[in-house]
Amino acid sequence: MTVSTTGTAPETMTGATAEAAGAAASQHGIIGRPVARIDGPLKTTGTAEYAGDFHLPWMAFAVPVQATVGKGTIRSLDVTAAEAVPGVLAVLHRGNMERLYRAVPNDPNATVSETRPAFEDDRIYYWGQYVALVVAESLEQATAAAAVVKAEYAAETPEVSRELEPFAGKWNTVSTRGTVDAAFAAAAVKVDQTYGTPAETHNPIELHATVAVWDGDRVTFYESTQGVVNHRNAMAQILGVPRENVTVVTKFLGSGFGGKLFPWPHCALAAVASRKLQRPVKLVVTRTMMFSNVGHRPVTEQRFRIGASADGKLVALRQDALNHTSLVDSFDEGCGEATGYLYSVPNLTVASALVGRNVGSPMAMRGPGAVPGLFAMESAMDELAVALKMDPVELRLKNDATVDESNGRKFSSRHLRECLETGSAKFGWKQRTPQVGSMRRDGKVLGWGMAAASWGAYRFACATTVDLNADGKARVRCATQDVGTGLYTIFAQVLAEKTGLPFERIEVLLGDSSMPEGPLSGGSWSTATVLPAVAEAADGAIASLLSIAASTPGTPLAGADAKTLRMTEGRVHRATESAGLPSAGVPFEAVLQAARLNGVSADGRSGSVFEDPKARDLSMHSFGAQFAEVEWEPEIARLRVSRVVTVIDAGRIINPRAGANQIRGAVVMGVGMALLEETVYDRRNGQPINGNLADYLMATSADAPEIDVTFLDYPDFALNSYGARGIGEIGLAGVAPAIASAVYHATGVRVRKLPIRIEDLMQA
Amino acid sequence: MTEETVLREDQQEIELEPVGAVKAEGQSVRVTRRTFLSGLGATGLMVTAPLAASASATTANGAAAATAGKTHVVLKVNGEEHDLGMLDSRATLLDTLRERLYLTGTKKGCDHGQCGACTVHVDGRRVNSCLTLAAMAAGKDVTTIEGLGIPTRMHPMQAAFVEHDAYQCGYCTSGQIMSAVALMKEPIGESDGEIKEAMAGNICRCGAYPNILAAVKQVRGQMKNS
Ligand code: FES
Ligand code: FES
Repeated sequence: MTVSTTGTAPETMTGATAEAAGAAASQHGIIGRPVARIDGPLKTTGTAEYAGDFHLPWMAFAVPVQATVGKGTIRSLDVTAAEAVPGVLAVLHRGNMERLYRAVPNDPNATVSETRPAFEDDRIYYWGQYVALVVAESLEQATAAAAVVKAEYAAETPEVSRELEPFAGKWNTVSTRGTVDAAFAAAAVKVDQTYGTPAETHNPIELHATVAVWDGDRVTFYESTQGVVNHRNAMAQILGVPRENVTVVTKFLGSGFGGKLFPWPHCALAAVASRKLQRPVKLVVTRTMMFSNVGHRPVTEQRFRIGASADGKLVALRQDALNHTSLVDSFDEGCGEATGYLYSVPNLTVASALVGRNVGSPMAMRGPGAVPGLFAMESAMDELAVALKMDPVELRLKNDATVDESNGRKFSSRHLRECLETGSAKFGWKQRTPQVGSMRRDGKVLGWGMAAASWGAYRFACATTVDLNADGKARVRCATQDVGTGLYTIFAQVLAEKTGLPFERIEVLLGDSSMPEGPLSGGSWSTATVLPAVAEAADGAIASLLSIAASTPGTPLAGADAKTLRMTEGRVHRATESAGLPSAGVPFEAVLQAARLNGVSADGRSGSVFEDPKARDLSMHSFGAQFAEVEWEPEIARLRVSRVVTVIDAGRIINPRAGANQIRGAVVMGVGMALLEETVYDRRNGQPINGNLADYLMATSADAPEIDVTFLDYPDFALNSYGARGIGEIGLAGVAPAIASAVYHATGVRVRKLPIRIEDLMQA
Repeated sequence: MTEETVLREDQQEIELEPVGAVKAEGQSVRVTRRTFLSGLGATGLMVTAPLAASASATTANGAAAATAGKTHVVLKVNGEEHDLGMLDSRATLLDTLRERLYLTGTKKGCDHGQCGACTVHVDGRRVNSCLTLAAMAAGKDVTTIEGLGIPTRMHPMQAAFVEHDAYQCGYCTSGQIMSAVALMKEPIGESDGEIKEAMAGNICRCGAYPNILAAVKQVRGQMKNS
């Protein structure tokens, strides 16, 4: 089955999916059906509650004060004017705030984004670093008071330059095989170029927000986090309280793209202020702070050397990748994520190193490593194709890998070839003429470019509980969170499939750290991780229900062998009775009522792939192909991305409607990455000069191209019994290099440093 | 903000065309020119310029007397009057809706008029509530996403957004829907391109634009046919 969607049309379906949608009354086959997400009515009426929406009686408002230098030492901090502002309750700073601890280094279950807690010392490591916190009765008062906190600094000149070379430090070898330098030297055709990607800011539209409230020695956070469990664990360590005393609630998340994976310093500040004042405290960071204090994709500079034989077979591939990091954390972007396994090449080395800068700590942003890494590698591959006078799709097909050559493992499921072929056919690639500027439409120059894409597939540990209740409802609980893309609905689909109940009778409770521990929302692994756990819990609850049905006097099923009973469409019946008939068996809640039970429950668990003997010896990745068309009008220097065809091999797609939406959104982000996005730091003081949404450009509706999304349907059963892999990042991978190659095809200008600016093309 | 405003090195002066009229009782005062300051000056704009406007709005109402830093404000939101008492004059309509009336469906994405998440209707027109002081909205009809429809009785635009999956995280969605509904009365033309331009002030970082366009088109089509 292929589910294909084009542009703005609602999902069109073929094969099994269409049939399933037709049989809407039955929940059988609901996995893989493009159902509407269950949170839609809440999200479209303003009733979904995000962290900053929580309001508690007697709540105070906190506003941090940011450093106005990018490097130096705080000489003095004068808070008298701020304290005199009516309504101000406290001005916290290093001189008067109780101590915050650091989280334990390398504790995978209590990770923080910035190691240094706020106010730990008097040093300024980056512009915007918090130096004080004002808490007041109202947001207006706190904002006004924060503006009159006077800090004096012994300022030094910060180092924020985007150029990372020359670099004299130590390199780490990430992956190596063969003898790359000798093979490159001897290669018939070579590319040796350096590619750069800028600092990009995650910029979810929801500002990071923390509402903290203490009840005795217990604290609750209403938090914008991609990991309620990790957040709880980290906060316990930072605040010095037992884990059991901390609860983290994230009902809805206004997306995160990685920026909200782990706590930032403001989270603990809100809690400390709340503890001191014995009042709930709300702290919402400003958009300005979003650019300096809550992470970004770091600047990368990557030298690629690719050597090939005259007929286009790769013989050598070397990537030397630098990325910047802050002075308080060592953040490795991991630009070699895809390099080692994407193509077959006997001689390869990937090396990386970090360069310190006076910037806030970077943080994983959608497709970390792979996305900037693939920009460089796929751009280099396009340059190689030009040098070889070979079609770029052909070049990829010729070098397709059959095993993961970085470790010799088999791929669990790899269909890159079909992605390339399907994409090529859907895009009409055959009509491409390779000469620069040779294609035109309506007076505009057309450029066509393409790139391959990949992203790792993972499954982590997860626990869930499923309840079947005497009120006729099924409920699932899990301490994970819906980052915004559809996890609530995935849970509901599994439960509907198992119980046959309609969505109205299914409750999905997520986003509360006191529930059974689920995964972080990151790395595209949520779906693959939760599916087996929900299925197991549902099976367990149903088994318990059936044995109660068999042993409870007074039901028509009493005395039956539980093994001969089934639950279908919400009813318990004998396997011999045809399922779904109103006459078959009894409603499941009648069984529970007869047994005088409130309900039955069961837990389900899934384990990490790294401990799974069936999976750990396999190389598991999603693959994709991106084809992009740009329109170039040299007379008015106007460049537009007009069309993108995306083909994704990500295992089985549980909800193609939400899935296609997510891929389209990633493509839109890719347009921004290619043409618009860059956080620019002021060399004088380290301030992100375009730290607002008017100057940091992100794609708007007017920039969104026509997008055609196709999912290949190859379930990856090594990952879970549903065969699902996850699609959060793969849609962004390869978009920017496809566009950059299309720009080259249209203009003859090879832009190796993103974003592609009109100035770059003026030489065309 | 006056002509004598001294600009700092990092500020620049931008002159905008006439933006409309401020109605006072029995007369119409034409606002002929406004001077905006960029950069940090924008903060100055938020605090001072609308204060001047709110003063005239207050006079227009003839009711509230502005005391130092506080203004008596009565807001009509979704058809209901709310007496906010003496309200901090600096309070934006957005913060007032969210933090004082607990109407949190309207979202804050930037607080600077740059993202559209805070879009509400004031007298039927879409405005960024973060750039509107609460006092400026006194005496006007404010409609928020909550006033459009509820989960069990959705406005056609809300229903179309659900039908077309025109959101992901949902955070920009209130603003998108408020813009889309206001758009129905704006003379923007028929083509996809024109709708996209008219919706370009509402940023969706999740990139749900193709589906948003589909939802808006569907409702426009329904309105034409009805
Ligand atoms: S919050 Fe008002 S436009 Fe962004
Ligand atoms: S749906 Fe997330 S920002 Fe638009």
